[in-house]
Amino acid sequence: MAGPVLQMRDIVKTFPGVRALDGASISVSEGEIHGLVGENGAGKSTVIKVLAGVYGADSGSVTLDGQPLTAITPANVHDAGIRFIHQDLHLVPHFTVTESVFMGQEVAGRFGLSKRQMRNMAERFFREVLDIEIGCGRLIRDLTTAERKLVQIARALIDDKARLVVFDEPTAPLAIGEIEKVFAAIRRLKAQGIAMIYVSHYLSEITEICDRVTVFRNGKDVAVFDKISDDSAEDIIKAMVGRELGQLYPNRTHAAGEPLLSVRGLSDGNRFFDVDLTLRRGEILGIAGLIGSGREELVDTLYGLRKAKSGTIELADLPLKLSKPADAVGKGVVLVPRDRRGDGLVLAMNVMENINLASLEEVSKLGWEMRGAARKRAEKLIGDLDIRPTNPDAIGQTLSGGNQQKVVLGRWLAIDARVFILDEPTAGVDVGAKVEIYQLIEDLAAKGAGIVVSSSDPGELIGLCDRILVMMRGRINHEIGTQGLSIDQLVAMTTGAADFSTAGGTARSAHAG
Amino acid sequence: MADSVAGSEQATGTRWTLPVRYGFLVLIAAFVVFFATMNPVFLHGGNLMNIVEGSAILLIVALGMTLIVSTGGIDLSVGIALDFGAAFAVVAMKEFGVDWYTAALIGIAGGSLVGLLNAGLVVGLKVSPFLATLGTFFIGSSVQRIFTNGGGPISHRRMPQEYRDLAVGDIFGIPTEVVIAGVICLIYFVVLERSIIGRRVHALGMQRSAANVAGLKVNRYLIACFIVASMTCAVGGLIASANIRMFTPLSGFAYLLDAIAAVFIGAALHPRGRPNVPGTLVAVLFLSVVTNGLNLMGLNFNTKDALSGIILVSVLALAVAQRKLR
Amino acid sequence: MPDSVATRPGGFDLRRAVGMAPVAIFVAMLIYIGFNAPNFLTWSTIQLVLSQSVPVVVVCLGLSVVVMAGGDDVVSGGIDLSVPATAILCAGIIAQQVTLAEQPLFLAAMLAFGAALIVGALNGFLVTRIGMTPLLTSLAMFVAVVGVNNVITASRRIDIDAPLILFLRDDRIVGLPAGVAIALVLCVVFVFAIHHTKWGLNLQAVGGSREAAEVSGLRPSHFLFWSFVIAAFAGFLASFFVLARGSGSSPGTEDNLLLEMVLATFLGASFSPRRVVTVWGAVLGAVLVAALSIGFKSMGVNVFWTGLIKGSLILIVVALGAASQRMR
Repeated sequence: MAGPVLQMRDIVKTFPGVRALDGASISVSEGEIHGLVGENGAGKSTVIKVLAGVYGADSGSVTLDGQPLTAITPANVHDAGIRFIHQDLHLVPHFTVTESVFMGQEVAGRFGLSKRQMRNMAERFFREVLDIEIGCGRLIRDLTTAERKLVQIARALIDDKARLVVFDEPTAPLAIGEIEKVFAAIRRLKAQGIAMIYVSHYLSEITEICDRVTVFRNGKDVAVFDKISDDSAEDIIKAMVGRELGQLYPNRTHAAGEPLLSVRGLSDGNRFFDVDLTLRRGEILGIAGLIGSGREELVDTLYGLRKAKSGTIELADLPLKLSKPADAVGKGVVLVPRDRRGDGLVLAMNVMENINLASLEEVSKLGWEMRGAARKRAEKLIGDLDIRPTNPDAIGQTLSGGNQQKVVLGRWLAIDARVFILDEPTAGVDVGAKVEIYQLIEDLAAKGAGIVVSSSDPGELIGLCDRILVMMRGRINHEIGTQGLSIDQLVAMTTGAADFSTAGGTARSAHAG
Repeated sequence: MADSVAGSEQATGTRWTLPVRYGFLVLIAAFVVFFATMNPVFLHGGNLMNIVEGSAILLIVALGMTLIVSTGGIDLSVGIALDFGAAFAVVAMKEFGVDWYTAALIGIAGGSLVGLLNAGLVVGLKVSPFLATLGTFFIGSSVQRIFTNGGGPISHRRMPQEYRDLAVGDIFGIPTEVVIAGVICLIYFVVLERSIIGRRVHALGMQRSAANVAGLKVNRYLIACFIVASMTCAVGGLIASANIRMFTPLSGFAYLLDAIAAVFIGAALHPRGRPNVPGTLVAVLFLSVVTNGLNLMGLNFNTKDALSGIILVSVLALAVAQRKLR
Repeated sequence: MPDSVATRPGGFDLRRAVGMAPVAIFVAMLIYIGFNAPNFLTWSTIQLVLSQSVPVVVVCLGLSVVVMAGGDDVVSGGIDLSVPATAILCAGIIAQQVTLAEQPLFLAAMLAFGAALIVGALNGFLVTRIGMTPLLTSLAMFVAVVGVNNVITASRRIDIDAPLILFLRDDRIVGLPAGVAIALVLCVVFVFAIHHTKWGLNLQAVGGSREAAEVSGLRPSHFLFWSFVIAAFAGFLASFFVLARGSGSSPGTEDNLLLEMVLATFLGASFSPRRVVTVWGAVLGAVLVAALSIGFKSMGVNVFWTGLIKGSLILIVVALGAASQRMR
């Protein structure tokens, strides 16, 4: 390998009042997958935006293949062969695969678009570079999320001029089984000598796929790891937070009591079937499953967002009839939704309004809103949950992911909820806030609430839950205690691999409790 | 990386706050001065009362529109609700000889049919409010044509004096229609801006799915809002029919655009861009000042119409542009 | 999971059925009319339908471009309600100049063209620079433009007998009424420009997902702005057909044109395999709507009822559209 493909040195970037980058450096070689990690606000996204030409750096140098890059504009960067795979898919739902791949870089002849030629090029790219069959005439909205991600990758690489590709959280919307597909594609690109920067919060992925890792903290690169193994994660976390983190998951102090929520034979007739589950007071119950396993639909149905075809739900031995979320909330069953920005927060409302939204009666007299009381309550919860900024008038949209999640949780703490359903509670949340949210969940359980955690992060499920239900193709395939359960075992169960293993038995259907 | 491109535009700071907050009042003042110099009559007490009286029906309709826009929708059928209010009341008095207050109640009930249809379409069939109320508008217009055989007015010269007084009477020296509009405005203010109902309406208007997940009874609120808005507009219809002692088909349409404009100008005056009752009130008064001033300038009907249309577009643009400067 | 991507035979068919229902309803109504109205399915009636539909077809070309560039959410996406008003304004200007001011048609047309450009550029400016929603902008613009037209024409009907207008009305090109033939050419030009060029595809991308377009290096405001200018241009073109159809300009025609334009464009979405607004879908929709109007008339249905029927049709079409969306 010759010199590095990309070298960013001592980049400084200040915004009014904030020094976002304080002499940050990163260097990537040919055919290398270079991890870039750091907590939110550490400067990862700023350095990427400097590279993309979105922000101009105050000082520092950027060289590509040893040549200094001057005049960094989005167009110049693109021409130089630097490509970005953004976290959001940025695809048009009603476009075909071909149209999406060539969006903004269409091939046109003298008489309009060369539709056939584009299609051939796209098909060849998927077959030869990514090694998959995708069907280039299909519409984006009919593809799985993983396939859409691959289309996004194809769009960045179709012109064959890419030298360096930056992946920003490429697996965030994907389920465990789908991640492999994207990884396979990334590894093929590596084999072709393309340099890559891989930005992710998921350290397990970083250690799995990256060759080297740069850690950012407070706008600086604080550590570079040249050899990555599965054990590197702990050291990386240490570098990220700059202190001993103690541990990610809280000590268990909660103990399961009598049954609280019991579900019998629940089906929606379409995405999940015959689901039985029992949640006890003071218990944390995990639900694992790939996208399409019916996990999301089950959660939605337990909250009244979808209608069940058959089956019963009982709450403390009383039948629970759910036709809308309000029915669930009225009985103390609450949801922290997976789509925090769409379904969780009212983004345009401030923290106070969001926190009080579900319990407005309690801060009102005869329907008249007592603003003083509302503010006081919000301030108390902001303090209890350590929400930043502490200003109750801060607009929801401006909060970081972790703080947004705390606001949603705070809303339910304001009413005396008995059952908390948490769907992907820490997706897009940085490590520090994760720890706080885990502790919060533990505290709720210790106080006797029943908690359901639906998650695509196997580590989180094992670290947090007492039992895990594993869903596959709409059914609960395994129910398993987390004592001594390894991530590999859990992944094997969610992907169905465990069902085919000859022994079959190590973890299979080992009922807990 | 949650922080996307959105953050970059926030910086343009406080320098603009003052002119933006009060810029609109300055604009009103400028128009007042202009009209006063064009015709001194403009500032006479009698004329100012004319302006306020002339705003009553528009204010009522605009309040109904404020409610619907607060839910995140738009209501193109406010005029139909107004027409229905007038038609039901006038026909009830003329054909069935009912009391004035029974007629008023029947009128309001008649207007609520429009809201009911809208609510059914929007909540039941999930049609977007724009297309739903557009359909209601055409159906309602057609029904009026069919019923009046092409749009002839239904006149009722000998309507009860009490009903007539809705438009021409006064309470303690204040014109009844101003009192009615004022009371409705106050109720709307309390409910939309100061009560928890208003808080919920705003929440579901800004982000319906989040409000739903937060456990608000979204559909119930939407249905109620459509019905209340149409009943409010029907009250405007009562006053209109009392004023001219007849029901004129399709006359409500005239208020539609002004009502929409008032709501959006009002929203642009709000620090966070929300539709709001005080903003709507200010905007309605502004529009009435313009109409009245143009009238006093003695322009012909067509010119006046065109001018107010152009002023409307400009003011809307200005209001929206000002909010962006914040 | 490549293969397990839920192929649900039952659900899929139902969705298709619901998606096709608006078309089926239209066809059923046309067949019903065909059986009940004398001479409905004759070549002369079909020619009449085509001639009558031409003004709506041409304004639909404009609206569909705006919807495709802005997205098909009526409130937050792209819509231009002012196209019919622009058409009526241009017709008013041409008729007033030619008949009352006795100017040559060319000069009058240039004036109208300039007026249309101003309306389109203003719409585009207000939406892209000021940040007003297209719905609000074009609704306000509709009223302002109608107001200006009423000043120009003094709210009166003005006849016109310029040769070009008479040619559009009376003459024939290769067996078709001249107006229809020329409108057909316009349709082909629009379909090609929007569906078969790079620029057109980019415009659709902007409407499909603004962020996606931006990430791909496209400037959404550029396409939005030009979509409004193109729509106003379509309004200008439509004015000739409006003049030909009415043998002059008459006030008040814009309301009906507005209704039929919206109905046809959104109905057109249910003809497209992707269920989105397309140019040719809008054109087809416009022709079908005209066929219905004429069919009802020839069946002797009271003219006051047609508004009711069309209003209900809008609702049925969009309600079915919403239903098929939810079945995804």
